[in-house]
Amino acid sequence: MKPLHALGISAAAGAVALLAAGALAAGLRRQAAAHSHELPPYVPPAVVVQLAPGELQARGKKLYFNNCAHCHGVDAHGDEGPDLHDLWVSDRYIATMVKRGRKGEMPTFAKKLNDADVAALIAYVRTLN
Amino acid sequence: MDPAFWAKVHGATTHFPIAMTFVACLCDTAALCFWQKPAAGGLRAAGRYAAIIAALGSIPAVISGLVMTRGDMLGHGELRWHHLFVWPAFALLVVAAVWRSLVRDQISRRGYVGYVGAICLLTALIAATGYWGGELLQTFP
Repeated sequence: MKPLHALGISAAAGAVALLAAGALAAGLRRQAAAHSHELPPYVPPAVVVQLAPGELQARGKKLYFNNCAHCHGVDAHGDEGPDLHDLWVSDRYIATMVKRGRKGEMPTFAKKLNDADVAALIAYVRTLN
Repeated sequence: MDPAFWAKVHGATTHFPIAMTFVACLCDTAALCFWQKPAAGGLRAAGRYAAIIAALGSIPAVISGLVMTRGDMLGHGELRWHHLFVWPAFALLVVAAVWRSLVRDQISRRGYVGYVGAICLLTALIAATGYWGGELLQTFP
């Protein structure tokens, strides 16, 4: 086979390998997201339920700028941390991530934010959808 | 299941393709240096098979890495650096292995020089990938 012709075929093989890896990654992300929904449903704390949605989101926005904007960007389109628009993970997943963090990637906010704060943050992040 | 199972599998599967890529680079560079010598044919064949075996060995390494990170293809911090090098390296490794298996020894010296250049670049990418993988171990001991 001519080397240039073979180069075309091998480039296509490389692209297919990357696409296959991307497809596998997308499947794994979907599975992880679905698994997060198998956990018990997220129940906002009682103090939050009493707040009007606008109040809750305003509180969440303030908390976001004080705690999250540094990494996720003022517009939440991501900086050092990922873009928070159109999140397809559950509220429980977001709450767990905020409270526990992820080692080496995101700090834990368990001591800084209580359940009501986290619920307000979730309400604000959902407005970004 | 052991929560670190996939991390262990990833560690067990990555070193083989890394080593084979280095072997391919050494053999092909030596074959280029000793182009006129009788041993050059054997070195070219060794480089070709090493590249093909490295590409085959990279498949379980990539799959275990993706499962370990739950499908995160980029991530942040050290993981992001690891991924910035691993995806070009993986694609280039597949391209190199497929190309070598198709052209075999029907290749001019000029074409071979280009191939050796690509293999050297691939080896550098693999080394950088391994370096950031090692840095990840510092973060996640």
